[in-house]
Amino acid sequence: MTDRDKPAGLVLPLPVLLVLAWLVPGLGHALLGRRLRAAVFFVVVVVGFVLGLALDGELMLPASGDALAFLSMPASDPLRFLALIASVGNGLMFFIAHAVGAGQGTVTAAAYEFGNTFLLTSGMMNLLLILDAHDIATGKKDW
Amino acid sequence: MLDHLTLMVLDGFLIAVFFSFLWKRDRRERWLYFWKVFGALVVGAIVLAWVMYPFPRG
Repeated sequence: MTDRDKPAGLVLPLPVLLVLAWLVPGLGHALLGRRLRAAVFFVVVVVGFVLGLALDGELMLPASGDALAFLSMPASDPLRFLALIASVGNGLMFFIAHAVGAGQGTVTAAAYEFGNTFLLTSGMMNLLLILDAHDIATGKKDW
Repeated sequence: MLDHLTLMVLDGFLIAVFFSFLWKRDRRERWLYFWKVFGALVVGAIVLAWVMYPFPRG
């Protein structure tokens, strides 16, 4: 049976599946039986994330610990807010990187912007994977 | 570290692989789509760079 012939069998409650899909790139697809695609997605997102860190990219965080500042962020600093969403989109890797002090970003590094690009694109790709896993789990996508 | 052109090509490669597996079902479709996206990203960026070349940064 090839990847595409497998039914969209849901083994976990949908919210749990989506959270797992967010935490680990490709895990949602793996749990739905799409192993080839899961492996490809995992490699692509993880390689992008690791390259981003290696290139001194920055994982975005709210500028202040103030909750009000965070809530007003979409209006006051929309680009940073979008970058924050993309950064958090990396799931577990985002939290691990922060825990070990990686992803602080070195603005003066030659590849800083490229590092950001890799980190943000990997986060956005992982967010798209959540949507794709949702479509497969709910039967909107049959492969 | 890697130069900017290499990094751009690498980024284009990762994005093209990702979307070809996300949106296309068959192997042939995936290859075709991969080359379209990869080519558009790399060639497009180089063309854009040349278009911007006459405009000074300052």
